[in-house]
Amino acid sequence: MAGQYTDYVLEVHNISKHFGGLTAVDNVSYFVGKNEIKGLIGPNGAGKTTLFNLITGYLKPNSGKVYLNGVDITGDPPDKICRMGLSRTFQLTLIFPDMTVYDCIWVGLYSRRKRPWNLLFSRIERKGEIAEKVEEICHLVGLESRMDEVATDLSYGDQKILEIAMALSTDPVLLLLDEPTQGVSPKEAENIVALIERLSQKMSIVLIEHDIDIVMRVCRTITVLNFGKVVAEGSCEEIASNSDVQKIYLGVEGT
Amino acid sequence: MENKRLLSWFATLSLAIFAVLGFTLPSGARSLAIQIMVFSIFAMGYDISLGFTNQCSLGHSIFFGVGAYGAILSIAKMKTGAIGAVGSGLGAGFVVALILGLICVRLSEAYFVIVTAIISAVFHLLAMDMTWLTGGDDGITVIPPALFGKFTQLSLSNPLVNYYFVLLFLTVTYLILVRMLRAPLGKVFAAIRGNDTRALFLGYNVFRYKLIAFIISGVCGALSGALYALTLRYASADFFSFYWSIVPIVWCLIGGLGTLVGCFIGVALMSIFQYYVSAWFTHYLLLFGVLILVILRVSIKGVLGYVLKRGSG
Repeated sequence: MAGQYTDYVLEVHNISKHFGGLTAVDNVSYFVGKNEIKGLIGPNGAGKTTLFNLITGYLKPNSGKVYLNGVDITGDPPDKICRMGLSRTFQLTLIFPDMTVYDCIWVGLYSRRKRPWNLLFSRIERKGEIAEKVEEICHLVGLESRMDEVATDLSYGDQKILEIAMALSTDPVLLLLDEPTQGVSPKEAENIVALIERLSQKMSIVLIEHDIDIVMRVCRTITVLNFGKVVAEGSCEEIASNSDVQKIYLGVEGT
Repeated sequence: MENKRLLSWFATLSLAIFAVLGFTLPSGARSLAIQIMVFSIFAMGYDISLGFTNQCSLGHSIFFGVGAYGAILSIAKMKTGAIGAVGSGLGAGFVVALILGLICVRLSEAYFVIVTAIISAVFHLLAMDMTWLTGGDDGITVIPPALFGKFTQLSLSNPLVNYYFVLLFLTVTYLILVRMLRAPLGKVFAAIRGNDTRALFLGYNVFRYKLIAFIISGVCGALSGALYALTLRYASADFFSFYWSIVPIVWCLIGGLGTLVGCFIGVALMSIFQYYVSAWFTHYLLLFGVLILVILRVSIKGVLGYVLKRGSG
């Protein structure tokens, strides 16, 4: 099965996850191509975040397989999967609260460069390869003027951007974004959307998002989950006109 | 950045004061100063575990006791010198910390606290029962040996040698720990303390780093136990008692968690309090408890944490 679809960065084959009697993800297959940006939508409790957790190794699937760049990563620990090029953000923004923006990104960059000797004995300097990369990422996301600020002093929107910057620091081929604009002001959301559009030229992205307008704008294909199952998958127009999807979102009876 | 310099200054100043005190203090107060230095090693080590990686261990009495017995038994059974004894204590501490760490570090917060506490109680019981090895409550007494081999001019029975022997270890421990914390390892610890899930999803094997911190911490505890036993010239099952799991937390809380050297203040305060107040008031710990509450009420980050906050405006 491995490498069956070599064009795909991510292949998920028939994955399932049960919590006791509840089936959170039910036999889902999901494919992400190179530099593709896909939306993942569905009502609350549809299994979107659970699917992310299964892909990233945070949860072990009951059945099914996950391949990253054709390599079987099913059941691997999250840190190993991350070092292979899969990065994610969280619904509840996870940053390092008492560290500066610079350090938060530095830690991410260092994770793929660590060796036993430099772990213990090297000095942390503000020059050299890692420092340049930190500044490059800060410029990319627009945090270059705030590098020395402590993470919790940033506005919530900037914290969301910082989390994306941290996810980028591990040099991913695939980025999973879990509601990156949730709870931020419209203006900040606009920044984040612009950032996602810029990133989509360099890597594959899967975007979980409740704001349908944003998903329609950014993504080329959309997958709809409900009760752990894929209800529909297709282009934005197909999804918008799909009657099952309309039922789920609008609660329309009949038709 | 500013904090780092302040902490370095504080550490250098403390070590310099200890160096001067060595030949100026009368013998009673000098023993007290030795005790403060020995416990400071223990407390710095504990800070690596609780202050830097959020592992609230109640099992550090094990390392203290194992270090003490490692040192005393190697003198009693193998006739090693004082340096060899410290080495045995460290080795024993490392092995025990590794095994204990592999069992406990994986556990989430509350379970980690409970399991370390239980294992610590088991060690205390074993030490009391295995009198053939540990001497039980009476303990094992040794004559202080030369530092190494037949080099009898420098023996720990000379209090000055004892003092600077301990100061040397305190300085070396501080330098090693501060170097590690300023290397990338320290940043990884800070990341794990900040949010271990995020660290995991940035590609760090959180368990491995927590284990490293736990072992460093345990080895410091063992070093402290070994030096304490060598200074007192004996070790008993009492070195495994729960008391030695609690006091490092108190020291670190008073001085300031996560500052590495803040615990110097905690240790000094508690030792001096114990030494002078216990002479006229038996229930001095009651007073000390009130003092801890007052300090933590004023600054949750301890004395040094308070100074740092003031210093950086």
